[in-house]
Amino acid sequence: MALCAAAASTATAFASSSLSASTARPRGPSSTSLPSFVGAFPRAVAARRRRRAAAPAAARRAGVTVRAEAKKKSVVIVSTNSGGHAVIGFYFAKELLGAGHAVTVLTVGDEGSDKMKKPPFSRFSELTSAGGKTVWGDPADVGAAVGGAAFDVVLDNNGKDLDAVKPVADWAKTAGVGQFLFISSAGIYKPTEEPPHVEGDAVKESAGHVGVEKYIAEQFGSWASFRPQYMIGSGNNKDCEEWFFDRIVRNRPVPIPGNGMQLTNIAHVRDLSRMLSLAVEKPGAASGKVFNCVSDRAVTLSGMAKLCAAAAGVAAVDIVLYDPAAAGVDAKKAFPFRNMHFYAEPRAAKEALGWTSSTNLPEDLKERYAEYAASGRGEKAMTFDLDDKILASVGKAPASVAV
Amino acid sequence: MAATASLKSSLLLPSPISDFSGAAVSISAQKRRSSWQPRGARVQVSAAADSKNILVMGGTRFIGVFLSRILVKEGHQVTLFTRGKAPITQQLPGESDAEHAEFSSKVQHLKGDRQDFEFVKSSLAARGYDVVYDINGREAVEVEPIIDALPNLEQYIYCSSAGVYLKSDILPHCEVDAVDPKSRHKGKLETEKLLTSRGVNWTSIRPVYIYGPLNYNPVEEWFFHRLKAGRPIPIPGAGNQITQLGHVKDLARAFNLVLGNPKASQQIFNISGAKYVTFDGLARACAKAGGFPEPELVHYNPKDFDFGKKKAFPFRDQHFFASVEKAISELGWTPEFDLVEGLTDSYNLDFGRGTFRKAADFTTDDMILDKKLATV
Repeated sequence: MALCAAAASTATAFASSSLSASTARPRGPSSTSLPSFVGAFPRAVAARRRRRAAAPAAARRAGVTVRAEAKKKSVVIVSTNSGGHAVIGFYFAKELLGAGHAVTVLTVGDEGSDKMKKPPFSRFSELTSAGGKTVWGDPADVGAAVGGAAFDVVLDNNGKDLDAVKPVADWAKTAGVGQFLFISSAGIYKPTEEPPHVEGDAVKESAGHVGVEKYIAEQFGSWASFRPQYMIGSGNNKDCEEWFFDRIVRNRPVPIPGNGMQLTNIAHVRDLSRMLSLAVEKPGAASGKVFNCVSDRAVTLSGMAKLCAAAAGVAAVDIVLYDPAAAGVDAKKAFPFRNMHFYAEPRAAKEALGWTSSTNLPEDLKERYAEYAASGRGEKAMTFDLDDKILASVGKAPASVAV
Repeated sequence: MAATASLKSSLLLPSPISDFSGAAVSISAQKRRSSWQPRGARVQVSAAADSKNILVMGGTRFIGVFLSRILVKEGHQVTLFTRGKAPITQQLPGESDAEHAEFSSKVQHLKGDRQDFEFVKSSLAARGYDVVYDINGREAVEVEPIIDALPNLEQYIYCSSAGVYLKSDILPHCEVDAVDPKSRHKGKLETEKLLTSRGVNWTSIRPVYIYGPLNYNPVEEWFFHRLKAGRPIPIPGAGNQITQLGHVKDLARAFNLVLGNPKASQQIFNISGAKYVTFDGLARACAKAGGFPEPELVHYNPKDFDFGKKKAFPFRDQHFFASVEKAISELGWTPEFDLVEGLTDSYNLDFGRGTFRKAADFTTDDMILDKKLATV
């Protein structure tokens, strides 16, 4: 039954896409209004056809695909040199290069700094071997780092406030950059008792990212802001699932604040990269919009622990729930996710860009665990001072939770 | 219009994939039509322009009361199949005398017990119907006589339940997700399977918690009783469990939008509110809706109590919410009521006028509050 429904909807997708092409003009790229250079980028065209076939009906209803957007673009990514967002620029650069665009990654600071020894920076050869340029410099003077070439798109994947982003935005404007994209944060949403956070919901006006979003909206005709939460993916600069694996492989309990039912959103970074790429491919559809840059499913904190255990091939995980105040610990230091519901949904991306989520935590965590296990990190000596303090405060032996 | 006619005939039975390309014309036309409507527009263009002979199983208690009115207004011939225990029509609060008279004069009644399968089969076969809305069906056996009686049925529209989804740490529930064959709603699942196996053009709607005026499940009413009595609201656990309410009028509109809609053929749609809500948040939203001061919330561990057969809280003690994205993107439906607006509508048209279905019973509340006092 499900197969029938899926086949039917795919058939509908193919039927209506071929119908609109045939009513408009004869089929075939050579006979459309596309300039002849489309044939020069067969990978990009093939990739677009695959994406259109996979896109839901709403994507085509939302906007007519302007075929001229298949043109190759020149993109600058201003990249942070540390933190959870660093991996976004890495995947985005790879995806753009794979689609035939020209990419320059400007990483903040010095090429020789110790920070560059960590992923994703330690893997930048993957960008250069694919034709990307990697440079280092100061976002206050982007021009000095990237030179006077013309660029179509800038992604600021670095600044958290206007102090950091304004110089980048101002340089982009002067340099005639057509589209300005910004990696913001879903952390700017005001807490709510009616999740999820959706685009348009109230944000904390004092948040640095909010100031940036307002500024780029004033400065650019074509701009978009992307608000991520947490992400997993090879090349991540910041621990995410590793925090759980560290405990699970050592047969240690996993301490979780509160009742473990807090929902969060953990996406595979390829989903974030896909969303950004779609914004580059469809600037009109993305223009002037804010996008929650997250997967389309939430997971509970306890659920994440159980999924990590299952991915590690472990039958049960000891989850110890605790009250941070009673345990005398700062939950921000003791646990990698916010101790509250922190749950945004990617509704704008689905509706405006025809984006779909591919994150599948049970499967994706298996791949993450394989890399973790191969790295030898599980065998390294580690101290768990905060965990031990929490366990001592709770007192009794933790019970196993079947995964 | 010729395309619509061929579309109808291709919808009688599940078609091989190639037949759906004929449906693409209407789908594109529908998409163009619905793209002209501003989002949230109150005028809904339904796909089936011609009048249908519709049978509603139920229709006199809650969902069907609102749905049957929409269907009659759309120009369909509507028959309600009920035992006649509740009045066939009742004037709704806010409904004018003229509107009510108009509706009463048009809607028809077929009196019977749907558990009497022989009667169901013979009475339906004698009358013939184009479309069945099964609002109160629970078990597959109840549906068999209906399908047997109506071999030319164009569409069977079934009110299922999001309660069929398998409990998960990954949410929201989506239509493609695993279902729980052991759930207390398994009859709904078996009905969906039966409809598929019999080659009927079916559509299944899975609501979450439904609310609104005339609700007979004490959802908002449970909170309103306590708020009116100025009592604290006892909430199990931390109160951060997330649930979801959908207004009955939005649900009725969704039921109407799937009628004759090729996008709904053999499809399941979750229908509920656009946003979810925590238990604590729901208590506060009910207070806002009724103009009550912010309530005192008392949290307790349900394991500390034996409530016997009584329910201490009207919601499942777990996260329970479903994505309505498929209905929004495929049907052009949008929920019009946000939570506080919808609860206000319910309060103003029902509880706030002094009407409710279940009398207040604070027995379990007192057990909880007494124990809390004792431990202070």
